[in-house]
Amino acid sequence: MIRNLNIILIFTSVLMLAGVYTLKFAIENTANERAALIAQIDSQQGSLSLLKADEAVLSQPGHIAPIVERHAMALDIAPVRQEQFGSFADLPMRPAKPNSAAMDSLFTALEAGIDPIDAILELEGIE
Amino acid sequence: MAITADGHAPTIALDGARKVRGNLTQARIRWMILALVLGFGLVGGRLVQLGLVETDSAIEGQARDVITATRPPILDRNGLEMAVDIRVPSLFAEPRRIIDVQEAVRKLRTVLPDLSADWLRERLTGEQGFVWVQRELSPAIQERVMRLGIPGIDFITESKRFYPGMNEASHILGSTNIDNRGIAGIERHMDGEDIALLQDLGLARGNALTPVDLSVDMRVQHVMHEQLVDALQRYSAIAAAGVMLDIHTGEVIALASLPDFDPNQPATALVKDSFNRITAGIFEPGSIFKTVTMAGALDSGAVRITDSFDARFGIRFGRYTIDDFHGKHRILSLPEVYKYSSNIGTIRVMQAMGKDNFRAFLTRIGLDTRVPFELPEMRLPTVPKELSEVGAATASFGHGLSVSPLHMVTAYAAFVNGGNYIAPTLYKRDLATAQAQYRRVISPQASDEVRYLMRLNALEGSGSQMNKAALGYRVGGKTGTAEKVVDGRYSSSKVTNFFGSAFPLDNPRYAMIIMVDEPKAENAQQGTTAGWNAGTVTGRIVQRVAPMLGVAPDFAEILDENLVPPAIR
Repeated sequence: MIRNLNIILIFTSVLMLAGVYTLKFAIENTANERAALIAQIDSQQGSLSLLKADEAVLSQPGHIAPIVERHAMALDIAPVRQEQFGSFADLPMRPAKPNSAAMDSLFTALEAGIDPIDAILELEGIE
Repeated sequence: MAITADGHAPTIALDGARKVRGNLTQARIRWMILALVLGFGLVGGRLVQLGLVETDSAIEGQARDVITATRPPILDRNGLEMAVDIRVPSLFAEPRRIIDVQEAVRKLRTVLPDLSADWLRERLTGEQGFVWVQRELSPAIQERVMRLGIPGIDFITESKRFYPGMNEASHILGSTNIDNRGIAGIERHMDGEDIALLQDLGLARGNALTPVDLSVDMRVQHVMHEQLVDALQRYSAIAAAGVMLDIHTGEVIALASLPDFDPNQPATALVKDSFNRITAGIFEPGSIFKTVTMAGALDSGAVRITDSFDARFGIRFGRYTIDDFHGKHRILSLPEVYKYSSNIGTIRVMQAMGKDNFRAFLTRIGLDTRVPFELPEMRLPTVPKELSEVGAATASFGHGLSVSPLHMVTAYAAFVNGGNYIAPTLYKRDLATAQAQYRRVISPQASDEVRYLMRLNALEGSGSQMNKAALGYRVGGKTGTAEKVVDGRYSSSKVTNFFGSAFPLDNPRYAMIIMVDEPKAENAQQGTTAGWNAGTVTGRIVQRVAPMLGVAPDFAEILDENLVPPAIR
C-alpha cells in the first residue's frame, strides 16, 4: 500500500521536476528575448533621436536660408517687397453694364483674324 | 550495569535488539535534524547577508538613471524643435575587471589617440567598479572600441542635448552640462521648475516628456540674428542685441544678443562679452527714454499734446548747462520736442510733471526693479532712489540711470498696447491669461498720443532712415544715442545706440528694441547716431518679418492721419 503510494509520489516529483525545469528554461528564454527586444528598442530609439535631430536641423530657418540664397539666381526669387502685396480692395469693381461696344469690336477683330493679345504680348516681349 | 557488594546476584539488564535499534534511529534522527537546522540556518544566514548588501548602481556618485535622464524637447511657437535629446554612447571602464591594464591602454589609444597614456593607465588601475573613460562619442567609435574586445570596457547610452538652431537662439535656450542639467537660459529655468522635481521623483527617466512650447518664433529669431550679425560687421560694432515682444500677451517673439555662443559647445558660453545684453546688460538708455517721460507726463495730465515748451536756451544747473544735440533754439510744441529729440524740451515736460511724480512713474512701469522674466541671467537696474533736480533733468532724457533693454521693451509695449503693463515671458501665453495679469500704467488716451508721437518721429524725425526700409508697415519709434563714459567723462566717439519701436501703429502688435554698441559710420555720408544703425536695422528686420507675422503693408495715408490726436488735427 505504502509502497505504491511512494512509487506514485516519486513519479509525480520527477514529472514536476521536469515541469519546473522546462518552465525555468522557458522563462529564461523569454527573459532573453525581452532583453534583446529592449536593446533593440533602445538602439532604435537612439537612431530615431538622431533622425529627429537631423530633421530639426534641416527644417531650421537658419539652415534653409543659405540654400535659398544659393539658388536665388537660378530660381529667380527674392525676399518679398512691400509693393508686391495686393488686396481685394485694389481690384477694380465690375463695371455696372458690360461694355457691349468694346465686346462687339473685339469679336469683329477676332473674326477678322486679329487677336489683340498678340499685340500686348509683342509689346511685353513675350513670344 | 551495576555490580553490588552484598553478593546478590547481579541483575543483568539487556536491551532487546529492537529497542537498541530504536534508540539508534532516534539518535540518528536527532543528528539529522541538527544537520538540517544547521544547513537551513546557513542558507538563511547567507540570504540575510545578501539582503543586507547594498548594490552599488551609482555611477561616480550619481544614480545610473539620472545619467540617462531625458529632457523634454523645446519647441518654438510653430512647433519647430529648438532643443532635442539625442542618444549617444559613452565609454566607461570597470577597473576591477580589467586583466591587463597595459594592453587595454595600448588598444584603447589606437581608437582614441587623444587620451593621454598616463592618465588612462591611472584611470584603469584600481578596484573601482565604474569610471568614465570618455563621454558622448559617436556610434562609429563605439563600433571600433567594441571590436577591440577589451574585457571590463563597455558603453552606456546617455542622453545629450542638441540644439539644431546652433547659435541662433543661444541666449534664450542657454545650455546644459555633460550630466544633462541646465546651466543657463531657459534650460536652467526648466530645471528650477518642474523637471527637476519630476526627475527626483523618478518620473522623467527614459520616458517621452511633454514638449515645452516657447513663445519664440524661429523665423523671426533667424531674421533678427542675421540682421544683427550683419549690423555687427556693417558698422564695425563691438556688440548688437535685439528683442521683440508681442505687446498684448508679453510673449517674446525673438531675442538675440551678439556676440553669442554655440549651446552645443557650452564652453563657448564662457567667452568674455558673450553675456545676454538684453536681460543681463544695463545701459544708459539715452533718448529712447524720452518716450517714457512723454508717456508719464501725458498720462499725469500735467502736459497736453497741444502744449509748447521754451527750448530757446540751455538749462543751467550750477556749473553745467544742458543743451540740445541738434538744437532748434525756439519754442517747440510737444510733438516737436519728441521729433527733434530736444533735451531742453524734455526737461521742461518732466518739470511740468514734477520730479517726484516722474520718479513714481518709473516705479509704476517697473523700471527700478527686476523684470519678472524666466531667464536666470538678469541684472538689477540702477535708478537713483531719490532724484535731485539735476538728476531728474538728466533722467528725463535717459542719462544718469541704467536699465536693461528688456525693461525698455516692456515699457514700450505697455505704452502702445493701450497702457497695460504685462510682464514678458518666454512661454506661450494666450490673450485671456495675459489680460488677467494686466496692470494699467497709463491711460488709453496717453497711449494713443504716444503712438502718434512714435509714428511722427518715423515720418519726420530721427526714425526716417528706419521708415525708408520698412515703408508701408506703419512702424514708429525713437532713436537713442547714449554717450559712453570713458575715463569719467561722456565720450562723443563711443556711443551705445538704441532704437525703440512698435508696429503696425494703426493697430499695434509688436514692440522692439534694437541696440548697437559702439558703431562706426558705414560710409562717409552716414553718421554714427542711432538713426543710421539701430534705426536701419529695425527697418530691415520689420521689412523681413512683418509678412511672416501676418502684417501686410498698407500705404494709405489715412492710417497715419487717424493716429493724429483730435486736439491737433
